[in-house]
Amino acid sequence: MKATEGMFDESVVYITKQGTQVRTDGGRIVVWDVDGDGDKLVSYPTEQLDTINVFGGVNFSTPFVARANEHGIVLNYFTQHGKYRGSFVPEKNTIAEVRRAQYALSSDDELAIACAMIAAKIRNGRTLLGRKGVHGTDLLKDLGVRAENATNKDELRGTEGEAAERYFSRLDETLADGWTFEKRTKRPPEDHINSLLSLTYVMMKNEVLSGLRQYNLDPFLGVLHADRHGKPSLALDLQEEFRTSFCDAFVTRLVNRGTITHDDFNRDNRLRDEAFKTYLSKFDNYMKEEFTHPYFDYSVSRRKAIRQQVILLRKAIVGELDDYHALTFTR
Amino acid sequence: MTSELVNVSDLNQYSYCPRRYWYLHFYNTQGRNYYRVEGKTKHENQSTRGNWLNELYLESEELGLKGKIDVLDLGNDQVVPVERKRAESGDYYRSDELQLAGYCLLLEEHLGESVREGAIYLYETDQRMHIPITENHRKTVQEQIEAMRSMSVESVPPLTDNRKKCEACSAREYCMPEETAMLEPDKATGTAFEQEIHNESN
Ligand code: SF4
Repeated sequence: MKATEGMFDESVVYITKQGTQVRTDGGRIVVWDVDGDGDKLVSYPTEQLDTINVFGGVNFSTPFVARANEHGIVLNYFTQHGKYRGSFVPEKNTIAEVRRAQYALSSDDELAIACAMIAAKIRNGRTLLGRKGVHGTDLLKDLGVRAENATNKDELRGTEGEAAERYFSRLDETLADGWTFEKRTKRPPEDHINSLLSLTYVMMKNEVLSGLRQYNLDPFLGVLHADRHGKPSLALDLQEEFRTSFCDAFVTRLVNRGTITHDDFNRDNRLRDEAFKTYLSKFDNYMKEEFTHPYFDYSVSRRKAIRQQVILLRKAIVGELDDYHALTFTR
Repeated sequence: MTSELVNVSDLNQYSYCPRRYWYLHFYNTQGRNYYRVEGKTKHENQSTRGNWLNELYLESEELGLKGKIDVLDLGNDQVVPVERKRAESGDYYRSDELQLAGYCLLLEEHLGESVREGAIYLYETDQRMHIPITENHRKTVQEQIEAMRSMSVESVPPLTDNRKKCEACSAREYCMPEETAMLEPDKATGTAFEQEIHNESN
C-alpha cells in the first residue's frame, strides 16, 4: 500500500529565536526578526500549518492571531526552556457531532479504548527493551494480556502501574555507559534521564493535543485518566501508546549517540540554552523521520502516524470503526 | 428526511462519492488541498467581462436545492450557466455535469423558461465546453437530492467502488479506505477494497 500524500509533516513549526514576531502577509505566515536586523526569517503558506510552538520571547501580531483563529491554527506557548505555559485555541474547534459522540461514550466503550492504549504501551515497552537486547521480559507480556482484558478501569490502572514499574526497572540496561536510570521521578526530575523523559513527554503531549484539536475531539475528556480541571486527559490517554515507542526511544537515542551529554545540563537538571535548541531540532526531525508502519506497510513519518491514530480514535468514537486500533510495535 | 436545501456544489461531492459528502456534511472534514485554494484565488481575480453576470444565488423549496452560479453567460438568445473547474487531467467528471444540471434546474425555475445547456470552463486548457443537459441528468439530480436529504449521521456510506476516485479524493487522509479495509475487513465488503484484502491474505 502507498501512503497518502499529506502535509502533516510540515504542519508543525517551532520558533525559538528570541525577539521575533510572527505576522501575516497575504496568504503566508511570516516570522520577522524584529530585535535583530529586522529581516524576514522564514515564511509558510497559511494553509499548511496547524500548530505553532513558540519558546520564550516571541510575539504575535494581532492580525496574525485573527488569521490563526480563522484557519484553525493552534498556538502553544512555552518558556525558553520548554516549560508549557498555555495555548491559543481557535474557536471553530468544535464539531457538534464529534463532541456529542464523545460525551455519549459508554463506560464499556471507554474501557475498551483505554485497554487498547495501555496494552499497546506495555507491548511497545517490551519491544523497545527487546530491540536493545534486554531479555527476560515475559512478565511484561503477561501484563499486556492482562491490560487487554481488564474488566474495569481500576484494574487497568493497576496493571499499567505494575507494568511501568517493571519496564522502568529494566530501562537502565538500554543506556550507553555513563548513563544511569534508577527510577522515574517527575517533580522535579531528579536526574538527567528523568529530565529528558519529562521534557519529551511534554513535547509529545502537545503533538497529541494538536492532533486531537485538529480533528475536533475534546482533549479534556479522557477515557482513562481522570478528568481534572485543566488536565488534557484524552491527550494523556492517547499519549500512552507513544510513550515507550517514541518518547523513550528518542531519549535513549539522544544519549546513546552522544547528542546530549551530561555537560548539557545545568544544576537543576535542565538543558542549557544551546542544548535545548539542539533538542528541539532533533525532536522535530524525529517526528518527521519515517518508519515502516507495522500494519499498513508503507513508510510514514512519526508525526503522521500520530495524526492517523487521532483519526482512528475519532472513528472509533463516532462509531465509524468498531474498535480503537492502537499503534503497536511487535518487533 | 430534512427540510434543508441541498447545495448544488454538494451534488458534485455526493456523486463523486457519498462517503466523501457524508464527511463534509456531518463532520466538516476536508483534507486541505492546495488546488482548491488556488482555484479560489483565481476566481477572485476574474471579474465581469462583457455580457457576463457573476455570482447569482438561487434557491428553490420545490427542487430542494440552493446554490450560487459562478458565472452566467447572458449570450445572444439563451442564458448559459458556466462552472469553472480546475482539473489536472484537463477533463471534467460526470459529477461536474450533475452540478451543472443542478444550476440549470434552479435557473429554469427562476427564469420560468427552459435552460438546456450549461458550460464548463477548464482553467488548465482555457477551454469552454458546452454540455447539453439531458433527461437523464435531471432524473439523477432529483434522485440524488432525495438520497442526500435522507442521509443520517449514524449510517456511514460504504467505501467507493472505484479506487481511482480515492486517489484524487481530498478526504482520503481522513477516510483511510485501504487502512480501514485492513483493520476491519468487514467494512470493505462489497467495495473496491474487498478484493485487495482478499489478495493480500493469499
Ligand atoms: S477516499 Fe475514496 S472512499 Fe473515501 S471518501 Fe474519498 S473517494 Fe470515497
